[in-house]
Amino acid sequence: MKLVVNGKPVEVAVPAETPLLWALREELGLTGTKFGCGRALCGACTVHVDGLPKRSCVTACGDVAEKAILTIEGLRTEAALHPVQQAWIEENVPQCGYCQAGQIMTAVVFLRAVPNPTDAQIDDAMSANLCRCGTYPRIRRAVHRAAELLAKEPK
Amino acid sequence: MSVSRRGFLHGVLIGGGGALALAACGGGNGQALRIEHADKTGELTANLYITVLATGRVALIVNKAEIGQGVSTGYATLVADELGVPLDHVDVQFAGSSTAMRTSANMQITGGSTSTAEAFVPLRRAAASAREMLIAAAAAQWRVPAADCRAVDGHVVHGADRVAFGDLTKHAARMAVPESPRLKTAKEFTLIGKVDRRVDARGKVDGTAQFGIDVVVPDMVNAYAIHGPVFGAKPTKVSADAARKRPGVIDVIAFPWGVAIVAAKYWQARAAAADVQIEWDAGAIDALDSGAMQKAMREHRGKGPTARDDGDAGSAIGRADIVVGGVYEAPYLAHATLEPQNATASVTAGRAEVWAPSQSPTLAQAFVADALGIGMDDVTVHVTLCGGGFGRRAIADVCAQAALISQRVKRPVKLTWTRESDMTQAWYRPVYAARVEGAVRDGRVTGVRMHVLSQSIALSSKKLFGAALSSLPRPLVEMLSGAALALFASNSFGDVFATEGLTNTPYQFGNFALSAEPVQNKLPVAFWRSVGNSVTGFIMEGLVDELAAVTKQDPFALRRTLLPANSRQRRVLDALEKLAGWSTPPPPGIGRGVARHFAFETEVAEVAEVSIVDGRIRVHRVYCVVDCGLAVNPDIIVAQMESAIIFGLSAALDQEITLVAGVVQQTNYDTFPLIRMHECPEIIVQILPSEEKPTGVGEPGLPPIAPAVANAVFRLTGVRLRRMPLQKAWHARGAS
Repeated sequence: MKLVVNGKPVEVAVPAETPLLWALREELGLTGTKFGCGRALCGACTVHVDGLPKRSCVTACGDVAEKAILTIEGLRTEAALHPVQQAWIEENVPQCGYCQAGQIMTAVVFLRAVPNPTDAQIDDAMSANLCRCGTYPRIRRAVHRAAELLAKEPK
Repeated sequence: MSVSRRGFLHGVLIGGGGALALAACGGGNGQALRIEHADKTGELTANLYITVLATGRVALIVNKAEIGQGVSTGYATLVADELGVPLDHVDVQFAGSSTAMRTSANMQITGGSTSTAEAFVPLRRAAASAREMLIAAAAAQWRVPAADCRAVDGHVVHGADRVAFGDLTKHAARMAVPESPRLKTAKEFTLIGKVDRRVDARGKVDGTAQFGIDVVVPDMVNAYAIHGPVFGAKPTKVSADAARKRPGVIDVIAFPWGVAIVAAKYWQARAAAADVQIEWDAGAIDALDSGAMQKAMREHRGKGPTARDDGDAGSAIGRADIVVGGVYEAPYLAHATLEPQNATASVTAGRAEVWAPSQSPTLAQAFVADALGIGMDDVTVHVTLCGGGFGRRAIADVCAQAALISQRVKRPVKLTWTRESDMTQAWYRPVYAARVEGAVRDGRVTGVRMHVLSQSIALSSKKLFGAALSSLPRPLVEMLSGAALALFASNSFGDVFATEGLTNTPYQFGNFALSAEPVQNKLPVAFWRSVGNSVTGFIMEGLVDELAAVTKQDPFALRRTLLPANSRQRRVLDALEKLAGWSTPPPPGIGRGVARHFAFETEVAEVAEVSIVDGRIRVHRVYCVVDCGLAVNPDIIVAQMESAIIFGLSAALDQEITLVAGVVQQTNYDTFPLIRMHECPEIIVQILPSEEKPTGVGEPGLPPIAPAVANAVFRLTGVRLRRMPLQKAWHARGAS
């Protein structure tokens, strides 16, 4: 089966019903996307499909075959981290770090739609991503920080 | 770190002994090896923990698990400061299961919020020793007194002369290891108390951080496990013909603990699991019904061994005008680390190699050795990053299972549990019910009596060690179980976990009777963030709040009268009262409650502001003041307070593990909810300045949050909630 992952067409030998999560992790070695619950309850496996956040643990490979898939590994450019990743470092967000790829992928899409969010909008957008360490106050700050960094980016 | 360097370090430590306190050891065999290694590689391996590379970078071995608490940053800070290098010159490597790395009562374990306190002097001494060897080398080259040289920014400096550490390593390897290197005074610290970033953030935001679940070893296959519906259930009949024919499937194997489907890829094993039919026996926990057990505990009136008996509490209660109190209760709780339990094992010819997100490679050795019937020394454990720990990863059941599977398929195997297995395979925080009474006479608090019922972690641990180590020589079993128990022991009472936080309460009631009684069943319980304190804080602070209410005293004021003058408890309370603006009444509809607790040598007090929204308790804001001695990494302390408050709020408000006919009713995050972003309060943390030695940080922020919330609900509504989870108790208020 053909997938387009992080801008590159790739071939994965999996049945169509295989969850995208495991194709990414095991067939492509992209282990930055994490397994947390297997039922779209925690958000650790969040990736982008055609620019929208998707829970890869419940997304069949067959359903995304022709679509653009972006994982945490593909978020940065060669030259620099994505501003959201940079903001996460500046605000000391990660503790264990296991959920953060999913948090970041969710925040990136959100900030595209809402470039200058309020706390309430952030809470709404991020409330489906679980963090067992309780980094939420820092995620909230980092999303604001990322919004500032993104505003400074050349369009 | 390269494999060869690990081997070399092992050689050094054979020459010089192992405990962290002896990290600066050397001479003899160690020095010969050190010189040989430096000449070959340009690296100065100053001691077991610290190697200065020819590039000037520093390889630091950390013998603690990074479970998110920030120990890699903490240890790197201690070493970089004392050695005189920038923080980003330090590369952290996690220690494997080497016996020389057993620095916690003969074990290597991350628990009890001990890491910083344990390493604060010895690790700096190890760094100071390396620094003095580098300085001695430079001083010899310049023919100046070593006392006139300084180590700054990765260089030795004398007047206008500077030489980089990396250019001194070969020479420094020939220098004598200082017997008592000089440690910096607090005034000389350049990084301690000042570092404001983490060393492990980068890999955790760009997807490169390697957790246990990401381990890949050559020739590795993958396993998916199905565990029985009841803890300890054994498969009695397995039908797997169709599964075996699935692509990639290597084997389907029944074990006493469950069924493993082994395939080239995890997704293949997972898919094949749908074709496996299993019949199970009744399991090992006698159809445990937690509701019935909790009801019996609630109604039980018994006696137990006395943990503390000051004055005459019985008489104080007999003579009281008013007696307040009731039964305080807490349920089983799962750890629910976001990374499910997993381990990779390779078993060959009587030896096992394990890669695991483990809080204790020593216990992992023990579990694996027991499962395979080999010696602990025949098991090597490599520790990876951990996607959360909270105590669960001290238990190495998953490592044992991975090893057994590897032994059968004769290849390295990575076993990844499902979330459902992770949540239902026990080792929970134990259930509690404590009957408490507070006596008031003439408007004054005259005595307190408590009888605590809980399932005993101490007894469960004895069973654990007995089971895990049953194949080992008895003296070794005694040594390990004794060491593990001693590690957590904070008082002389037999069941140290059940009453910790009560036995050692700083409150001076005058008349105080505390007794405890273990509830025994076969469901194993274990360490969960802050252990017994996660409940005893709720018990004590609820009762003290009841006493304040009935005597019509301000809850801060009453606490002050019960606490020693000039104590850190009073200082923390005073700071919190200011921080929270306690003297200004809250706006209408908001209730405020306070609670404090002393645990892991650290005092934390918190104020919670709550309201009732749509019939549910809503926590809007939490103020927190912590006294944990000298603050090594202030921002990590703040992060750990936030973390413990949020972790504790999830438990206080919503979480419980219940069993019906032996079957755990909660299987995933839909039924065992965590606080989410929109439910997360604003959290304001203040660290009290201190020059005392550093104390625990990862756990002590947790105990005060549940009672602070319950006390706030009382102040808002007049309803006293004595049972966690509080949302359920609030919903059922007045019903029992």
